[in-house]
Amino acid sequence: MITQIVRRYFTWTLDTTRESHLQTLSKGPLFKGMGKKLLRKLLIDLVEKKYTAGDIIFHEGEIGKAVYVILEGSVKIVKESNPENKTLHVLGPGSQFGELALIGQTSRFATAVAEQDSLLLIMYKSYFDDLLRRNNAISTGILLNLAEILSDYIHRNQPE
Amino acid sequence: MTDERHKGGASLTDLRKLRNQMPGWVLIILALAVAAVIVSRVTQLIILLTAAAVIAYILNSVIASIERLGIKRSVAVILLFVFSAAFVVAADLIFIPNINLDVMNFYAKLPEFSHQIQDALLSIAQSNAEKYPIIESSIMKLVDIVFGPDGFLERSLNASEIIMQAPPLIMALILVPFFVFFLLKDWPGMMKRMMGWVPPSYVETIISVIEEINILVGKYLRGLAADCFAVGALASAGLWLIGINSPIALGILSGVANIIPYFGPVVGCTASSLVALMQYRSFDPLLNVVALYLVIKLMDDLVIQPLLIGKGVHLHPMILVITLIVGEKLFGIMGMILGVPVVTAAQKTVGILLEHHRDKLRRESTESFIRTRPVQTPARPI
Repeated sequence: MITQIVRRYFTWTLDTTRESHLQTLSKGPLFKGMGKKLLRKLLIDLVEKKYTAGDIIFHEGEIGKAVYVILEGSVKIVKESNPENKTLHVLGPGSQFGELALIGQTSRFATAVAEQDSLLLIMYKSYFDDLLRRNNAISTGILLNLAEILSDYIHRNQPE
Repeated sequence: MTDERHKGGASLTDLRKLRNQMPGWVLIILALAVAAVIVSRVTQLIILLTAAAVIAYILNSVIASIERLGIKRSVAVILLFVFSAAFVVAADLIFIPNINLDVMNFYAKLPEFSHQIQDALLSIAQSNAEKYPIIESSIMKLVDIVFGPDGFLERSLNASEIIMQAPPLIMALILVPFFVFFLLKDWPGMMKRMMGWVPPSYVETIISVIEEINILVGKYLRGLAADCFAVGALASAGLWLIGINSPIALGILSGVANIIPYFGPVVGCTASSLVALMQYRSFDPLLNVVALYLVIKLMDDLVIQPLLIGKGVHLHPMILVITLIVGEKLFGIMGMILGVPVVTAAQKTVGILLEHHRDKLRRESTESFIRTRPVQTPARPI
């Protein structure tokens, strides 16, 4: 009720940048089906960082400790060990990368480079672990979505 | 020209060379030493800033819940301050007159209380004079130090000293809310700017430090509040059971004093012992009071603290005591209270940075191994 009044008559009190980031976040597969309040909590708690085009976000082979979500800009995923530096994907707003870091201490299997000036939301593993310990709805939602992403990946890469 | 400069002192290039030759940890220690000197010169300001940071940290959860409604942070902070000011004014109108009355009554009765304590101590001294002369002389000395013409009580009640302490108090009342306001309002902006300075390869390590400290401080503050409440409740119940006057007030004092590790329980026990002494004019109930506080301390160490504060905030007892002493020397009681979380956070930060360094070394050694390894063709497809 109060929220509706505020949204209708006190629009100047609303954080429009965060609301647009919230729209971007809700489109991503990692946060699918999660309520606005939970997503706002993530946007409040997590760290944002701007990268300029060409910045290397992480290198292939490094131990992954965080998952990144693109809020603005684009990021390309490159296989450095490949002699031609093959670009595997170019990701846009709402997409996430480095999500395996949430599951365990695994090495990054590719390098992430900012293709344009980008704003990324960074979720560190210990934050996610803390949410899991407290049995937070966000952690359950992320885990379910992560399982779905991984199962999709396995299905797509199975030999015919 | 260059030679002359070499004779006269180190040139900029020399300094750069020296910096390159010096190991990183020497630079860190030097920077910490300079920071410690600066901090020791402006202790009052650091205390106020730290108090403001703790208050802002606690209030941040309230701001976050307003933000979760979609409202701008600046509006949320202003709303919180307006409501807090309204609450303070209302409390001032409703509660302060009663508190003032209590304080006035306390002041009026203070000479009577002090005489009672003196009489109790002197009667104990007289009754033990023959058996234990050392007790008599110690009590006489104590009475002189506390209640004498230039004693502790007289000096504490001296109005001029209270007025002398007023300017820092007034400054604190103005500066702390001022700092809290801007810390709350601008914290995300400051974080963004700081993150902008961090080189991409250090982002994950820096965020891990911030996250770990955030989790640790949150756990410590929540645990400490619950621990103080538990100790206060246990002390109140115990004092009521052994029949000591004002158990609730003494329990509150014991709970609040419990914020300071080791010294807090001593403060609570001493206050309760004084009340017991005044009430019974004998040493016998003192044994009960001391036994009660020992039991509470044991329960606190073995059951309450591990449950509420957990093992995440753990300092070696030796480091804990050193932290308390150094904290007290540098920043007084605030140093004793905040020393523990600050040192624990520093300990955690060093651990994470070392882990990052180890990861980097491991990665470099793997890369160099891959580069130097001769290319081998497998004997058969794997």
